[in-house]
Amino acid sequence: MTKPDQSEGDRSRDELLAGEYVLGVLSLADRARVEARLSRDKSFARIVARWQENLADFNDDYEDVAPPARTFSKIEARLFPKNSFAMELAAAGSWWNSLLLWRGLAFASLALLITYASLQSGWIGNLSPSQPLVARLTGDEGTAIGLLAQYNAGNGQLRLTPVAAKVAEQRSLQLWLVPGGGNPAISLGVVPQTGEGTVEIPAAVRPRLKDGVTFAVSVEPLGGSPTGQPTGPVIASGLAKNI
Amino acid sequence: MATDADIAALIGKVALRDRAALSGLYSAIAPKLFSVCLRILKDRSDTEDALQEVFVKIWQRADRFAATGISPIGWLVAVARNHAIDVLRARKPVSDSIEESFDIADSAPGPEAETVMRGEGKRIDRCMEELESDRAMAVRSAYVEGLSYQELAERHGVPLNTMRTWLRRSLMKLKECLDR
Repeated sequence: MTKPDQSEGDRSRDELLAGEYVLGVLSLADRARVEARLSRDKSFARIVARWQENLADFNDDYEDVAPPARTFSKIEARLFPKNSFAMELAAAGSWWNSLLLWRGLAFASLALLITYASLQSGWIGNLSPSQPLVARLTGDEGTAIGLLAQYNAGNGQLRLTPVAAKVAEQRSLQLWLVPGGGNPAISLGVVPQTGEGTVEIPAAVRPRLKDGVTFAVSVEPLGGSPTGQPTGPVIASGLAKNI
Repeated sequence: MATDADIAALIGKVALRDRAALSGLYSAIAPKLFSVCLRILKDRSDTEDALQEVFVKIWQRADRFAATGISPIGWLVAVARNHAIDVLRARKPVSDSIEESFDIADSAPGPEAETVMRGEGKRIDRCMEELESDRAMAVRSAYVEGLSYQELAERHGVPLNTMRTWLRRSLMKLKECLDR
């Protein structure tokens, strides 16, 4: 019996290994070794891809079975957590790392609930004067703070009435408008240190307060963000809706 | 029924982080992938968990699809099968069979026979017919149900090493046939 050429021997071993991998008969550890090799050996990866393509006709044996109705919402909840807009903000700065730091602190679990925001004429043109704008803002877990926010069209003030506030004293809560579409957050002002009072909405920003925008509250150094963008953890966020 | 081109377009959009495309892809392919996981894992609750994992992987790896050169549905099924088989092997371990230094070494550098992907798909049936029927059945159930050599040996009432030989020889015969 002639000994096969070395490279030819390697080749047929690779064929066999790739075939066994695609067939699925290998152990977990062996599968991991094959996958590690796949990522660095293009020639071997091609052999595996070809086995996959060749054996793909067996896929006809898998006749459709409807998954439980709830499955997709579970997938969405895993991929897009409710506060994922905060992660989008994170892309703009390095404050996200500090969120990990803040997580350990008591107020990191604050949840802000803006239960009511009255929208009247002058905010946006096509809304009737009596049409209110409501944002329900929720945070991670445990509602430590609730806010009633009510806009006064007469003086352009957003009145905030907290239900409970347990914010560390040397920090400020700052309210943001997140326009969406990757645009930077716009500061709506710092929540008064008492937790109660009014935030005067800058005149230039008023037209942007409308259905579909997101409100967010971040924890900032006393007096507000030094950079004009959120620098501390976003503890609550919510979508504004006309009701 | 979504065509291959539709599915490929959806995978492309998913790679661009389009959530609506993920939803569309789910509608189109979840019943198939659920079936894949169910045939391998048997248990419905495990299968639902697996389907979630599979779609998380699809979301994370969609950008790698184009590089594989396989059909879009083939790629999606491969993601699902690989995950389900990993879960199965973790649940019920089988013995390792790769000889590290010998079998897992990378391909030697040098002029490489470029493997052109050919339309070999439909030829597998003809090649399967060239195998003895019990061996063909073993190949097919290994693939479809993710059975191990041990389970195949028990099902066919032959010793483990015999089954190993059956499948390896069958793979080589299939390869030979597909290359003709």
